[in-house]
Amino acid sequence: MRIGTLKQSYIADAALFDSRTQKAWLAIGAALLVLFPFMASDYWLYLACLVAINVASATGLNILTGYTGLVSLGQAAFMGLGAYTVAIMQTRLGTPFLLNIVAGGVVAMLGGLVVGLPSLRVKGLYLAIATIAASFIAHFLFANLKLTGGTSGLSLPPAQFFGLPLDTSFRLYWVIVPVMVLMVLGAANLFRTRVGRAFIAIRDRDISAEVLGIPLLRYKLLSFGLSSFYAGVAGGLWAYFFRVVTPESFPLLMSIFFLAAIIVGGMGTILGGIFGAVFMTMVPELLKLVVDLLPGGVEMTVFLSPVRTVVFGLLIVGFLVFEPHGLAEVWRRIRRFFHLWPFRN
Amino acid sequence: MPKTPKLFQRRRALLIAVGLAAAVPFAASAQGNEDIVIGGSIPMTGVFAFAGVGINAGIADYVKIVNDAGGIKGRKLRYVPEDTGYKVDVSVAAFKKITSQNKVNLYYGDSTGFSKTINPELDRNGQILMAGASFATELNDSAKYPNQFLVGPDYTEQIGILLRHIAKEKPGAKVAFVYSDSEFGRDPIEASEAAAKKLGLTVPVKLMTPPGSVDVSTEVIKLRRAAPDYTIFHGYILAPIPEFIQQGKQMGMTSKWMGTFWTMDSSTVMKMGEGADGFMGVMPYRYYYDTSAKAPMLDKIRALRPEYQSTAYTQGFLTAMLFTEAAKRTLDAGKPLDGKNLKASLNTIKDFDTGGIIGTPITIKGNSIPVGRVYKADMKAQKMAPASDWISLN
Repeated sequence: MRIGTLKQSYIADAALFDSRTQKAWLAIGAALLVLFPFMASDYWLYLACLVAINVASATGLNILTGYTGLVSLGQAAFMGLGAYTVAIMQTRLGTPFLLNIVAGGVVAMLGGLVVGLPSLRVKGLYLAIATIAASFIAHFLFANLKLTGGTSGLSLPPAQFFGLPLDTSFRLYWVIVPVMVLMVLGAANLFRTRVGRAFIAIRDRDISAEVLGIPLLRYKLLSFGLSSFYAGVAGGLWAYFFRVVTPESFPLLMSIFFLAAIIVGGMGTILGGIFGAVFMTMVPELLKLVVDLLPGGVEMTVFLSPVRTVVFGLLIVGFLVFEPHGLAEVWRRIRRFFHLWPFRN
Repeated sequence: MPKTPKLFQRRRALLIAVGLAAAVPFAASAQGNEDIVIGGSIPMTGVFAFAGVGINAGIADYVKIVNDAGGIKGRKLRYVPEDTGYKVDVSVAAFKKITSQNKVNLYYGDSTGFSKTINPELDRNGQILMAGASFATELNDSAKYPNQFLVGPDYTEQIGILLRHIAKEKPGAKVAFVYSDSEFGRDPIEASEAAAKKLGLTVPVKLMTPPGSVDVSTEVIKLRRAAPDYTIFHGYILAPIPEFIQQGKQMGMTSKWMGTFWTMDSSTVMKMGEGADGFMGVMPYRYYYDTSAKAPMLDKIRALRPEYQSTAYTQGFLTAMLFTEAAKRTLDAGKPLDGKNLKASLNTIKDFDTGGIIGTPITIKGNSIPVGRVYKADMKAQKMAPASDWISLN
């Protein structure tokens, strides 16, 4: 039975993974991620890739909203910036796909820095509206520039890896999931550094943070930049995954989806971004599976489809009311239960 | 300790749940039998649900009719729909799910976005012929979209049919275009302006509004200033068309008002109110209640469903009919049911009788069926009445 973790140095105390049990579970998780594509059908592989893209973007938004306390409803627009950059570079320049994805992240980051400028003056709902304005501007540009293909958008060929086209979910999985893992690990590490701590200080009380010597504009912009970089990379992956990018691919509703994901998952925790993205992507699909199991065939599908939507909505409301700290808190409680068992439950 | 057994039970239940969850990916690999499978990404919820429910019923009914008659060369049709909520990513998930659990031959897609997104997969897979709810002009390109077709005229052709009617009714007329700021809305505008000029018509104004907008007073003023003889709305379902008509009439406009397919369902037009009496539009199919000519297939539909069925229903029904015809012709030729053969068979359709659903024999040369008719709203009778003969752009 595990009753505590002995730490004998500062390095051990600051370690990302601090116990053997944790490392063992992570190794099992990594092994499952490697084995998954060989066991799953095309449908589950598709969902795994979609979940991974959403996890990357939600983690980015969590850096901004969960850790720095700045509300944004522009995450989809930044994803769009990344996706269009990738599509334009792929179709016009034919550059390698990894370079395109990084460029997508950088362009989105630059967009994020511009959108982040008002963050020193306005907060909360005001900032949310400013970011919505940014997404309208992005939509206008996507729909009207010749470079972006106007309302028809851009279609792009599959990414190539040493001549191998990444045109199936199986092949894309080996790009999307490792990139997502790297991004999540990067975000987890960020909050062990001076920059991440500064973000948290700004979230907790920005005036106090400034008194402590944290330059607010620089760090708020940095947070916007990082968050947008994550969104841009996720958008780039999205572009290679769907291979069509149109102005309507990144609606405002998508930004709300990511905001809902981090709230349901748990703001200000890395696990929250992961759980939230998984929940928001997978629950509607799992509810479909439940509906499929019920007898009645096609007629039942018509009848139960709206019910499924209502159940999904109620689940979100239920989480907000009964577990405002999100799924990450539920997970923590489950872990605690096993740690303390059988002494307390 | 009295609580231990309960705790063991809880842990066991948790383990079983985890085991079941892990087994789900393996469960989704059952293969289909020799049935001919029609998959469907159908929007039964979301903004397009009004059409999706009808489309679903139309496909299901035709499948039932074929199966009750013994199937196609002894093979039954099987229809496997999934709700998409009219979202592209959900629609792709539905496609992946249906195709990984069944050997799908034919597929119904719910949107232009989905049709474009899934096209590379259709090309790679090579086993499926697809049609759907989209009439996007871009899809009417058999080189770029070799495994897809449109169940009617594309949006440019729809406006082309209206323009032909206008040129005949009032040569040299002024035609205004009012369209939504969306891919759907912008689709036919540029090509239609050129087509209007070719027919000797003038386009004094083109107005773009947000989709579903309500406050259109400034646009109506611009429209009145242009004083068009005809105003064609495109890229909307209902709003803001009634506002345009009402305010335009209040300002003394004498324009005739027109719409394209997704506006033209009888129930949608009747919602426009008394002011929209005489509203016209293009419809590739006969309305459910149209008894102006012999239509045995419509009689069958009316016998099956005594209450009014929407034009979305007819669209789904005709899609299934054309799917079936393509499959039948492929099997008759002794060829395997793959995307290429099914499409080639579809393109052999020449002067085909749809049983009166389309009031003229149809020929499918490429990716669309460029035929339609202008119908006019009779608000007193609460019906759409034919205002032209069938117009073919072939």
